[in-house]
Amino acid sequence: MMRSLLDSIRLPKPYEIAICALLAVLAAIPGIVGGRYVPAVFTSILLFFILGALFDFMLGYLRIVNFGIAGFLCAGAYGSALSVQYFHITPWTGLLVGGLASALIGLITGVLTLRLRGIYIGLTTLFVMETLRFTISNARDITRGASGLTVKGFTPLFDISFPRSDPLGYYYILLILVCVTYAILYAIVRSRIGLVFKAVRDDELGTSVLGIDVVRYKLFNFVVASFFVGVFGAFYAHYIGILVPTTEEFGIQRTVEILTIAYVGGRGTLWGSLLGALFLVGMQEVLRDLQEWRLVIYGLSLILIITVFPSGFAGALRGLYDRLSSLRPAVAPQNSIKGDA
Amino acid sequence: MLTASVLIQLTIDGITRGAMYGLMGAGLALIFGILGVINMAHGELFMLGAYTMYFATIVLGIPAPIGLLISTGVMFVVGVAMERSLIAPLRARLGSRWLIDGYVLTIGIMVVLQNLALIVFGPREFGVAAFWPGRQELGDVVISNERLLILAGAVITTGTLAVFLKKTNLGRAIRATAEHPAAAQVLGINIERIYAITFGIGAALAGAIGSLLLSTYPAYPTVGGEVLLKAFVVVIIGGLGSVWGAMLAGPLLGLIEAYATAFAPGGWQNTITSLLVLAVLVLRPQGLFSRQVTRP
Repeated sequence: MMRSLLDSIRLPKPYEIAICALLAVLAAIPGIVGGRYVPAVFTSILLFFILGALFDFMLGYLRIVNFGIAGFLCAGAYGSALSVQYFHITPWTGLLVGGLASALIGLITGVLTLRLRGIYIGLTTLFVMETLRFTISNARDITRGASGLTVKGFTPLFDISFPRSDPLGYYYILLILVCVTYAILYAIVRSRIGLVFKAVRDDELGTSVLGIDVVRYKLFNFVVASFFVGVFGAFYAHYIGILVPTTEEFGIQRTVEILTIAYVGGRGTLWGSLLGALFLVGMQEVLRDLQEWRLVIYGLSLILIITVFPSGFAGALRGLYDRLSSLRPAVAPQNSIKGDA
Repeated sequence: MLTASVLIQLTIDGITRGAMYGLMGAGLALIFGILGVINMAHGELFMLGAYTMYFATIVLGIPAPIGLLISTGVMFVVGVAMERSLIAPLRARLGSRWLIDGYVLTIGIMVVLQNLALIVFGPREFGVAAFWPGRQELGDVVISNERLLILAGAVITTGTLAVFLKKTNLGRAIRATAEHPAAAQVLGINIERIYAITFGIGAALAGAIGSLLLSTYPAYPTVGGEVLLKAFVVVIIGGLGSVWGAMLAGPLLGLIEAYATAFAPGGWQNTITSLLVLAVLVLRPQGLFSRQVTRP
């Protein structure tokens, strides 16, 4: 009796402590430091982290190369901004509208292309992105095109107001959104569906021979990812306040940024993107004076990761962890997820 | 006003521009057909070719045709070096699973080259008004000499490439490798060498076009982005990996663009072409001119 009670209050595992500590740090630091700069940098880190994780959710698990992820971001951002402006919904509903707009595009794209080879998915998503971007910059009467669409900030909720002058409020909205999204992604990856994902990643033909409808799983993955990318696009719209359909914002360059973070962080891990985002966004801030050189470093780190170090930061960390735990007397082997090398 | 002469004018413009898109696409298709990787850095090879041409002809004062040969040669070397130093080791390590990684690797190369160019040359545009100023008038139809020059360059380059691929031993070896790498190897073709040469040829094509189009697209760090997108459009319409498809699709795209610019309000031709590409990807992923019946 006593024994079973003792068993039930087990000590938290190291990674659980790490997650709690990390959350505490993420929640506390911008609040303690205050000002405008630190919360803005942390917002950027969180945003890139979750976009990297969503990219990884598609690439690292089902090998879906969404080369137009910035287009889905664009759909969410403009979807929310335009419906707030023309249909007078609140930005909070806008988050959902943005997510649904992006998910709808994801559903159509997915139904049409997910049964094709990977390279076709990459190209189709790329051109979905470009079509959206061109259409938005051409439809000046509605979207104000290249001159930029101004977007309202979040309206007060539960008597808390969110003025643009205070980036901390926005940071906490984002932190909550990121935690919820990450929890959902993690739950999917750890569920039976996630097992199918990994089976497809390792052997797509073999999985389909087992009678599993691979395309349906791909579609599920793609639509879920598109939805969340859209939600964060909507958040981004109300956070940043002005939308311009340029390649830096919603084109190839943004896609490359997100993709680099997922790769540098380590594919097939989801959490690796946090390391990628910390490194790349942090580096951009530290090396702000170097201007163009930071983008060279961006590209070089991508080349290095691909050629020399395919498992990224997550792989390095896991290697370190394995080495540390092998120093201690035989511990039950960790059932770690195999990185996508 | 739509008159016969305007129509002829548009058609000539479209075909000239399109022939160039076709050649850009042909390089991309050649690399994809042999190595199986989409070269995202293809636009940057175009950019480097344009810079080389500018410095050869304007700064050093070398005559334009020799400048074109120099820049083509330089880009061939750059292409071979890129393949040997970065792409070959990756392919050797990953075997058949390298495709997506190869794609991403070329993105890294693209970002590095683009920003190195920005650091070295600055954002300034280096261009020329025309290598051959003046124009020809045939009745109502007016063609600038530069346009004729570009058209001639496109025809010569296309012809050279076609003869090379069809008639020479190296060209046959390249086509054999595209058809069946393992069988080509059994027949004594050094396919590693073919990979490097193919990438070099693709780069040389991009460089040659960058040089020829210097008056239309001056050399500046991000000039490659727009050109790469055109090359993608051509390669998709012509069928991935099909060199001939790309060469046919190029003029087609040029014509569509020329007519769309004339008939649709400004800017919408971009939307029209990208919708067309999506339609091809969905309805005929093997390309418009492919006889292949199975869906890829």
